[in-house]
Amino acid sequence: MVLRHEEILQSPSVWRPRTPEEAVARKRALGADAVFAAGGTLLRTRWEAGTEAIPRHLIDLGSIEGLSGIWLQDGDLAIGALTALDDCLNDPLLGRHAPIVAQAIRTIAGWSVRNVATIGGNIVSRTGDSLPALLAADASLVWIGEDGERTEKLADWLSEPIPDRARVRLLAQVRIPLGGDDSIANAKRFFAFHKVGRREAFTPSLVTVALCGSLEPDGRLTGIRISAGGGQTVPARLKRAEELLTGRMPDPDALGEVYEQVAADYAPAPDPFAPDMYRKLTAANLVVTELWKLTAAGEAAGGKEGAPCR
Amino acid sequence: MPLNRTTSGDRWRVRPDGPDKVTGRLPYLTDLSLPGMLHGRVLRSPYPHARIVSIRTEKAKAIPGVCAVLTSADVPGLNRFGIARPDQPVFCEDRVRFIGDAVAAVAAETEALAAYALTQIEVDYEPLPVVDDPESALSPDSVKLFEHGNVLHRSDYGCGDVEAGFAACRHIVEETYSTPRQMHTYMETEGGLFVPEPNGRLTVYAPTQHGFMDRMQLARILNRPEADIRVVSSPIGGSFGGKDELNVQPYGALLALACGRPVKLHNSRWESVRAGLKRHPMKITMKTGTDEHGRLLAHQVRIVSDAGPYSTLSAEVLNFAVEHVIGPYRFGAVKVESVSVFTNNGMSGEFRGFGGNQAIFALEGQMDRLAEKLGIDPWTFRLMNMRQPGDPGPLGQPIAQTDGARQVWEALADCRLWKEKAAAGNRSETRPPWIKTGYGAALVMHGAGLGVGIPDPAGGRLTLAGDGKIEAAFGYEEFGQGLIASLEQMLIEQFGFDAQDLRIVIGDTDAVPDSGSSTASRATSMMWQALKRLHPPFATALRKQASRALGVGMEKLVLGRGGIRDAESGSLLISYGELAKTASEPIVAETKFAYPTSPVDRVGAHYLYTYASVAVKVEVNTLTGRVKLLDQFHAVAAGPVVNPQGYLGQIEGGSGMALGFALTEDAVMDKGMYLTRNLDTYLIPTIAELSGGFEVLPIEELPEGDKHGPRGVGEIGSVGLAPAIAAAVHDAVGKRVNKLPIDPALLLEKPVFLNKAVEWR
Repeated sequence: MVLRHEEILQSPSVWRPRTPEEAVARKRALGADAVFAAGGTLLRTRWEAGTEAIPRHLIDLGSIEGLSGIWLQDGDLAIGALTALDDCLNDPLLGRHAPIVAQAIRTIAGWSVRNVATIGGNIVSRTGDSLPALLAADASLVWIGEDGERTEKLADWLSEPIPDRARVRLLAQVRIPLGGDDSIANAKRFFAFHKVGRREAFTPSLVTVALCGSLEPDGRLTGIRISAGGGQTVPARLKRAEELLTGRMPDPDALGEVYEQVAADYAPAPDPFAPDMYRKLTAANLVVTELWKLTAAGEAAGGKEGAPCR
Repeated sequence: MPLNRTTSGDRWRVRPDGPDKVTGRLPYLTDLSLPGMLHGRVLRSPYPHARIVSIRTEKAKAIPGVCAVLTSADVPGLNRFGIARPDQPVFCEDRVRFIGDAVAAVAAETEALAAYALTQIEVDYEPLPVVDDPESALSPDSVKLFEHGNVLHRSDYGCGDVEAGFAACRHIVEETYSTPRQMHTYMETEGGLFVPEPNGRLTVYAPTQHGFMDRMQLARILNRPEADIRVVSSPIGGSFGGKDELNVQPYGALLALACGRPVKLHNSRWESVRAGLKRHPMKITMKTGTDEHGRLLAHQVRIVSDAGPYSTLSAEVLNFAVEHVIGPYRFGAVKVESVSVFTNNGMSGEFRGFGGNQAIFALEGQMDRLAEKLGIDPWTFRLMNMRQPGDPGPLGQPIAQTDGARQVWEALADCRLWKEKAAAGNRSETRPPWIKTGYGAALVMHGAGLGVGIPDPAGGRLTLAGDGKIEAAFGYEEFGQGLIASLEQMLIEQFGFDAQDLRIVIGDTDAVPDSGSSTASRATSMMWQALKRLHPPFATALRKQASRALGVGMEKLVLGRGGIRDAESGSLLISYGELAKTASEPIVAETKFAYPTSPVDRVGAHYLYTYASVAVKVEVNTLTGRVKLLDQFHAVAAGPVVNPQGYLGQIEGGSGMALGFALTEDAVMDKGMYLTRNLDTYLIPTIAELSGGFEVLPIEELPEGDKHGPRGVGEIGSVGLAPAIAAAVHDAVGKRVNKLPIDPALLLEKPVFLNKAVEWR
């Protein structure tokens, strides 16, 4: 009896692997009793809420070298999974090459959380607010597992219905293709990210939308990617809306069709604080408005407030 | 002149408790620890409504390191608490009525062990149907929370014949207004340290707004004389009404006495949400009519208030709401029916504004709707129907007359924001078509003090202590409002003392006189009254003593900084320290009186009122339905400004709370369970919401001969903002809001460019 409750009262053991391989091996050895921890901010809220038990073992990823920082590699922007969100915001490379991601990160939680929470943690939660922006930026994930390093498209990983829990692997990097911006100098590239919550800051999201693409000199849209998430929704690309726009001009007909398509295809996970219809119509409003801003009328009316265009 | 740091000049003082608070150095009572102290925890019901079949504590008691496991059987006195009507069980005996109901409590050597011990208490429950809707709780076939039914209190008021009034009306507006279950969200959650003293007394270090009331209630529970209990209750990390009632004190006291050791309890935010009080959600139905000229002929109101399972001050809050749904307007006839209903939802109770916030949101909504029907400017419409000097109060009772209503009305009509509204008629601002701005205003008449029929004592004591300090002792509490700063400023300005001469003693039942509660916007005005009464006897006593000591005539002596000074030259003749040495015993002046009340036989009717007007500018983003407050103006007629910083702080802080009430805050419940269990889903405004313009215009002028001095401003800043925002939203998008917080879904619009052919290239 005495032993049992003392055991229950024990804090989890904390492991500090030095390499990704060591971390993966430790997790394999400890199995379901162990949890990877980076910033720990999300884990903590789950423990406090009682939605997850405090595990017997925590594998602290903070001592692994090479998992944080932002650099250019093989035509990609590489972001180490252990990079704190605030460090991402302060990084000039991210600001230059993936401003949509910076814009999304700025809306995540509050200052104190962004100081410790990591981009990797936000991604592996599968509902983080950076995800729609990363989807729109066509990001890939670099995993380190027992069978070595593997890269997969973020969109593919998010569309897996349930992640395979038995597969032990660690997110090492997120990669964002730089895109040959100089070669298509005549096309106007655009992007936008919006997060709508129940408060202006430090709030869970109800709706997140991200879009990016190019407006060709002849007024047609190319390379459109649109994604949406929010709350407990696993963010996804809105492919039919993208297809509908590709090669079209953002005229009222096209925008009307996109509005309907976004409202139809965006399927938010239920939220006790907002009805689905509100979230669908808000997402549709935001997407079409960003496209309308590309038009002469839109630029005149909303240009000042619009997302920075490059 | 607007109130701010610049316009206040030298009267803008650094708060004595300010530096420690903003740097986080200040220890609150819940930061206190003692060697050898135990940690207490409360076992609360997992069901909103259930019968308790059995409670077995043996397993928990057997755990080494667990010192006490208490249930209802261990309460030596009354197993109930409640300021007005003690009907909340300290420990439930055979039935639980809400998700925060206490069933047992433990004290153990560590926090973790106490938490574990809770899991080892075996309680068998038999769930009962949950009564979660006040309206259906009133139906005869509803499950009853108590033998006497689900009605906690009814309060009706009538004047004139409303049926005849409506028959004569040209315009009638009917609407039902709903308000949220708002949480106080004080920074410091409930808790305290409970210490059995060697002499057999018990010292309670726990926040409350009325130390003597806690002492009385604890004495009743513990079955001990009040004199055996000392309650130390300041400083407090926020209260807003939420800590006036007992919370963890019964458990801490019982556990400490059972163990003979100090016990600390401190609610987590989760437990605070679950067990703590909230603002009463109310549904207020109003039918109001005017003649063809816009004169108000009839006003019919029904209020249904969700009290949760026990009384605390729900009846008093309802009485206040009844008074304030009538407010500053003349009606030909009035009929108000109201009921406060027991449910299995969370506990409702006292909260800054005390039922006025809900009432005035509804009342001001009616004024705006009627003005629109009449085609009259809504602000002019209010003036047309305003009570006039000499008129009685809302319940027909005599009140202390001021010209406050007209003064705040005029101040708003003349303010920068209202002129901007007039100029905005031909809007030339270039902004995206989905961003719509609007302006709105509201008028507030807010009663202060507890009202007729409720003991409302006041008093204080000044002493020249043996060490030469001028000691000011009051039974009030500092919970962030700036009470210490206000008291210090009054002593300096009224008596001529220096801050260094003073020692302020509050929040300790062993050391202070009973000054009544620090609630109902009353503490500042009662301190002012007390000092006014104490000034002549105390100053005379000090001068007489100095005269004796110095051999100088009293008429030549005045009180000043550092000591007694020469009346003419101002030079220091004897310091207070030296003066104290010459006296054989401390020089003391004490006063006892009561808050002024109206001479009527209507429980809760108020005598002193503060008036305010609020103008706001909002922005509605029709793509998201979200409302943003851009600018606000508050005129407040509350008599002289005692402490400029405190005054501004109260209006700003009250407005911040009101913004949450209007836009983001609601402790949402589903079948008696909170859906918002922590501050990640219960959302109070942040700096992002509170960054707009802010102007406060105090109107200090009182009628000649007014004896009551400064009126309280602790609550009034939290009342008028929500109806002003609702009016501004209507101005912006043409939609009427009848439910708070405002639902963005209501304000969502399909972009106009989808509906018409636009020139797009």
